Amino acid sequence: MKFHTVEIEERRELGAYTLLSYRWPGEKVEPGRFVMARAAGCPVTLDPFLARPFSFYDFEDGVASLLFEVRGRGTALLDRATETIEVTAPLGRGFEIDVSGGRAALLGGGIGVAPLKILVRELAARGIAHDVFLGFLDNRTAAVAADFPGATVATMDGSAGTHGTVLDAAPDLTAYPTVYACGPNAMLAAVKDAAGPEGLRQLSVEERMGCGNGSCNGCVVPVDGGYVRSCVEGPVFRAEALAW
Amino acid sequence: MRERATGVDLSVELCGITLSTPLVPASGTLAKEALGEVDGVYGAILPKTTTPAARVGNPPPRVAETPAGMVNSIGLQNPGVERFMEDLDAFDLGVPIFVSVAGETVRDFAALCERVSGDGRVAAIELNLSCPNVEHGGLTFCAGPAAVEDVVAACRAAAPTKPLFAKLTHEGVVGNARAAESAGADALTVMNTIPALTIDAKRRSVLVRGGLSGPAVKPIALKAVHDVARTVRVPILGGGGVTSGVDVAEFMLAGATVVQVGTASFVRDPGEILAEFSAYLREAGMGAAELTGALR
Repeated sequence: MKFHTVEIEERRELGAYTLLSYRWPGEKVEPGRFVMARAAGCPVTLDPFLARPFSFYDFEDGVASLLFEVRGRGTALLDRATETIEVTAPLGRGFEIDVSGGRAALLGGGIGVAPLKILVRELAARGIAHDVFLGFLDNRTAAVAADFPGATVATMDGSAGTHGTVLDAAPDLTAYPTVYACGPNAMLAAVKDAAGPEGLRQLSVEERMGCGNGSCNGCVVPVDGGYVRSCVEGPVFRAEALAW
Repeated sequence: MRERATGVDLSVELCGITLSTPLVPASGTLAKEALGEVDGVYGAILPKTTTPAARVGNPPPRVAETPAGMVNSIGLQNPGVERFMEDLDAFDLGVPIFVSVAGETVRDFAALCERVSGDGRVAAIELNLSCPNVEHGGLTFCAGPAAVEDVVAACRAAAPTKPLFAKLTHEGVVGNARAAESAGADALTVMNTIPALTIDAKRRSVLVRGGLSGPAVKPIALKAVHDVARTVRVPILGGGGVTSGVDVAEFMLAGATVVQVGTASFVRDPGEILAEFSAYLREAGMGAAELTGALR
């Protein structure tokens, strides 16, 4: 896997999350794709050994940004990076966008809101009407919702927006021709169930990854008859493809 | 091409096959989707192990990071040998293709060798002997010299003319190497991942029980290669934690003819490893082939 050293453009805290942006001189970033990133890599550091996968949060004028929550040493080091980080080129399959598809519902759970920002930008650019629903644990994690004007917010502890899950804050999803969602697997399975089989339903999964290019077979999700790799066959899947 | 670019002779010969570089991917670490990144780097391509029938593999989580390495438990997910062979052209980078096979019985292994050896695109076969032998209570085929000898002899008979590599785990490697050589293996791959366990203390559950790979295992692999090189006459494909060009040189000095790069390819561009190895050779004033066993 090829890594590129890129310059950090900005780092800022969004409540419980960190927003890190960097100059990306390469190809345009499409919504739903992801990147493997690390503070520094081989041979500078062997521990942490693997890079971490992040959905793109946004991309504008050659600046890509990632949204993450510090959960372990890999993200802690990224959070402390000051000048450069190392990233791969954009990876994976992103969201399909159907301009004739009608109104879209976008649902994000926790850090799973990440790919929705760049998706909102793309939908707006293409003139596709959409509604955004974001679910969080509490008002600290919900702070990022300020970046989504007009979004409907829910928190599990009731400290911001509707008290409950993102689905408690969303209307009948079966009425939407297009549904996009990203979050924990349990939330995605609930969205799949609530959205029903009609229309375009796309789920972006969050899996533990080793390589990011299909080689290690570590990041699989269940489909009928077996497993597929979320890094090359996903991370965005048609809801009907996933055996949840 | 890289030879001309660096002025260093990177070629090596393995069982009568000339390889443009001594680097070969370790089985299960190079997807066809990633081949574009390694054109010109590897002297041969070695796809993920194939088995008689399709295997869905293990449920996630399948990988866990560890200090200087990772533990994986993939469960030999693959589409089965027939579909694998249909798709083999996808691995054609203009260099030899080595095919890794695994079965649950000696008969499985022999049938796989017979099946793939008849195909002209297959330059050699690597026997993945770390899978459970169902006829022996689930111990692996590397459980001891007798099991190794049985399976290698059966494969030798099934594929009399195709170069056969026996891939061995580090445990009991010297005795198993001797057994594989005497049963007719043309080369030995040393070593596979090391059985390991990771635990999620927060959830109080096992995270991944599988095989440890990465730089953490390198000294163990080097010793295994060194021990085997002093025991057998057949060539060795060495590997285990190879992460830099100097690591490649170390494995060759320990006695490897070819060096497998696996987990490191997840975190580095293997082309950089080859470039570092070329720089090492240039400074040493040696060609790659001269390095094997050249410890002072």
